[in-house]
Amino acid sequence: MGTLLKRHRWIAPYALLAPGILWLLAFYVYPAFQMFIASFWSGSLEKGFTFSLANYTNYTETINQFAPQYLRSIVYAGAATVLTFLIAYPLAYTIAFKGGRYKNLLLFLVVAPFFTSFLLRTISWKIILGDTGILLGPIKELGVLPEDFRLLATPVAVISGITYNFLPFMTLPIYVAVEKVDIRLVEAARDLYAGPWRPGGGIAGAVVAGGLAAVLGIVFAWPWPILAAGAALIGGAVGWFLVSESFIRVTFPLSLPGVFAGSLLTFIPAIGDYVNAEFLGNPDTRMIGNVIQNKFLTQNDYPVASALSFTLMAAILIVVAVYARILGTEELTTTGRV
Amino acid sequence: MSDKETTTGLPAISRRQLLAGGTMAGFAAFLAACGTGGTATTAPSASESSAPTPASAEPSATATAEAAATPSAEVNWANWTYYIDVDANDQTKHPTLDKFTAKYGTKVNYQEVIEDNQSFFGTIKPPLEAGQDTGWDVVTLTDWMAVKLVRLGWVEEFNLANMPNFTANVKDVYRGLAWDPEMKHHAPWQSGMTGIGYDPTVTGELTSLSVFFTPDPRWKGKTEYLTEMRDTIGLAMIYLGLDPANPTRADADKAVAALQKAKKDGIVRDLKGNSYVEDLKAGDAVLVMAWSGDMIQAHIDKPSLKFAVGSEGGMLWTDNQMIPKGAAHKGTAELLIDFYYQPEIAAEVEAYVNYICPVKGAEEAMKALDPEIAKNQLIFPPDDILARLRVFGPLSEEDEAYFNEQFAKVLGVG
Repeated sequence: MGTLLKRHRWIAPYALLAPGILWLLAFYVYPAFQMFIASFWSGSLEKGFTFSLANYTNYTETINQFAPQYLRSIVYAGAATVLTFLIAYPLAYTIAFKGGRYKNLLLFLVVAPFFTSFLLRTISWKIILGDTGILLGPIKELGVLPEDFRLLATPVAVISGITYNFLPFMTLPIYVAVEKVDIRLVEAARDLYAGPWRPGGGIAGAVVAGGLAAVLGIVFAWPWPILAAGAALIGGAVGWFLVSESFIRVTFPLSLPGVFAGSLLTFIPAIGDYVNAEFLGNPDTRMIGNVIQNKFLTQNDYPVASALSFTLMAAILIVVAVYARILGTEELTTTGRV
Repeated sequence: MSDKETTTGLPAISRRQLLAGGTMAGFAAFLAACGTGGTATTAPSASESSAPTPASAEPSATATAEAAATPSAEVNWANWTYYIDVDANDQTKHPTLDKFTAKYGTKVNYQEVIEDNQSFFGTIKPPLEAGQDTGWDVVTLTDWMAVKLVRLGWVEEFNLANMPNFTANVKDVYRGLAWDPEMKHHAPWQSGMTGIGYDPTVTGELTSLSVFFTPDPRWKGKTEYLTEMRDTIGLAMIYLGLDPANPTRADADKAVAALQKAKKDGIVRDLKGNSYVEDLKAGDAVLVMAWSGDMIQAHIDKPSLKFAVGSEGGMLWTDNQMIPKGAAHKGTAELLIDFYYQPEIAAEVEAYVNYICPVKGAEEAMKALDPEIAKNQLIFPPDDILARLRVFGPLSEEDEAYFNEQFAKVLGVG
């Protein structure tokens, strides 16, 4: 027995891989292949579908016709990813370094929303953001906002919803990465005169916050110069007072693998999400997921729906490949930045 | 999307509130043969004295040549949830079905399996395509799906001689439709109206469909259309003076242009399925294209809400009983359909269902049962309202695809 296993040692990794590979073959590769075939169909549900390579026009049609929804998906998912990062990083950092004995409780609280269903969490946002709901109601009472101002059925609500729903996916990987940072390295940096990072922290904070506010402002046709200036002021102050040189030179670079993993875990599902756009948005905020859903289930246009899905997959691959080149994990482990 | 919409918190009344429905009736629809006593009146002639013949439990495709005079031991009926009367003490019992069993000795296998037209169609399509029995003797499907089944030739023709109540008691508004002029393929089960749902405390009294296309500050940005293509396009067509009973591609273009303009003018907040009810109640919407059945419930929850059929007209949609091709118990299915066209039986159903009754005389029968319901114009609309209602006309498969594609633009996904 022992010799048998020794002689056939090569088999072990394959045996370990087998369950995963079989699972993926049956439930991912096979349906994906079917869908790829379907994307070259033409015809209808009643008359039946026929396969022909000439139906590559399904792809050109989707790209031409649905460019706005593709673009919107990328912008919304991108904005939500940046926002989750800005919220999750301080959160994860604080839990890892200042959590103390409450660490586990705090982590539990991050995951707690997952104990209710995705759909319910999203629908409950409708109650929070309602025109006279708990958020806008009191502000309107004060007369600060015009009576017809609304958040629901706008891009703000959709991006907020995505940000909220995917926050734990960003927080947990960053937490794991930050937690692993050897505190002695930070201490060593301080011993070597790494103090507050000024004016770098202030400038970085102002640029990041101001830039984000400007982009969002322009996208949503808000008065962006005012917003950007305000955000830059706050971001600059935060950077000025809170960011230290040891963080910039030690902790942050060492936590980048977590940021990389977290942003992929957020961006990829977010770009295909349709629940937030369906419940919190309106016709002007529908994303590519809504188009695919409508094509599949309402119009029964399986060929175009399949082509849309594959185009989306390709788009995600490209975006992720570019991102990986910029922030690839291999680069992080090499020197140069630290 | 309306039939698939997830809604929360609504009392379980409407069959369009599916997820609320779930398993209430479950699998317990096999009814005991002991009914509540034979109070049913006018009987189809020959069937009275004949004893039920023992039929095989498994419906088979070959057993179609069954005479109407001998009711089978069972009949299989697929319906939507919350779409029939229930016993006040036992929700799994349906008194009118028990009466049918008492009268004919036929066990009605009543199953609330239809959640939306498209997915139910998916379950009966393979056997119908193969020329086999679907296992159902009666299915209940919405107009457009009914049209599709008739177009495909997948529906049995009624033997109208077996159905005296049906032929006598169908209300006139349902007769003479282009896709089944002699009513040999479909029998209306329940109908609903699509019209103006609004909160008069905000909007004032509304009567015209033009409100949906007018950027008035009272409802600008707080107006919602329906995600159901035939309802929203239909109302737009009526507003434009077009006839939804005979829809053409040019009509679709005009209706979509009007709807898109209204969106551009900032009138429209969103398009919704049933969840417009929640928005009305929360005040996020004050003017919606609404279904009458929903609005009966919404009015109970928020009394200020109102429903009106536009002065220009409104839409009428109907779920229809049909016998799928190759049904094992066609004759008994005809008896069952006819049974529900007795005014007293129809009234008993209507006391539990918020939709429009297609049966003549049910209103009078209801007066004896529950005068309050008999007065409700949304369940028994007066003739002048009925006359304003339009049924969306049949579309060929290609035209339907065109309409859906154009409407996808209004939905923001086209």
